Amino acid sequence: MSEKELGQKWDRCLADGVIKLGTGLGLGIVFSVVFFKRRTWPITLGSGMGLGMAYANCQTDLRLHYLVPKKDQ
Amino acid sequence: MAAKIFPVIKLATKVTLAGGALYVAHDSGLLGTSKQGFEALERARAAIPPAMEEWMKYFGLEAQLPAVPKVEFSPVQAWNSGVRTSISALSEAPRKASEYSTRGLQYVKDLAK
Repeated sequence: MSEKELGQKWDRCLADGVIKLGTGLGLGIVFSVVFFKRRTWPITLGSGMGLGMAYANCQTDLRLHYLVPKKDQ
Repeated sequence: MAAKIFPVIKLATKVTLAGGALYVAHDSGLLGTSKQGFEALERARAAIPPAMEEWMKYFGLEAQLPAVPKVEFSPVQAWNSGVRTSISALSEAPRKASEYSTRGLQYVKDLAK
C-alpha cells in the first residue's frame, strides 16, 4: 500500500468516525427523548455504537489491502 | 373509547418518529461503509455554504457575518510534517549544541580579555 493510499484511508477513517459518532449521538438523543424519558444511557449507548461501527469499518478498510480473494488461493 | 385508543396512537407516533430517524440515517449512507460516510460528509460540506447563504439572505444578515474561510486540513499530512520536523531537530541537536557552546565560550573569553 502506498503512503498516499494509506493517508487517504486514514482521512476516510477519521471522517467516518466523526460521521458515525454524530449519527449515533443524534439517534441516541431521539430514542432517549421519545422512549426513555430523557435518560442519558441511550445517548451514551448510541455514541458508543457509532464509534464502534467506525472502528470496525476502519479496521476492514485497512486490512482489505492484505486480504487474498478465495479464488486466488 | 378515546382513552383506550390514545396510548396506541401515542406509541405509534413514537415508533414512527424513531423509525423515521433511523431510516433517514440509513438511507443517507451514515451507517454504511467508511467510503459512504466520507461521501455523506463531502455532500454535507458542499450543501452547507449555499444553505447558510440562503438563510442569511432570508434574515437580512448578509453584510454582518464575515465569509467562512475554506480550511484544507489533512491530519495525516500535519502528523507527518510534525514527525519530520521533530526528527530533523533531534538529528541537528548535537551539532547545534556544540556550535552554541563554542560560541558561548568564545564570547566569555572575549569578555575576559
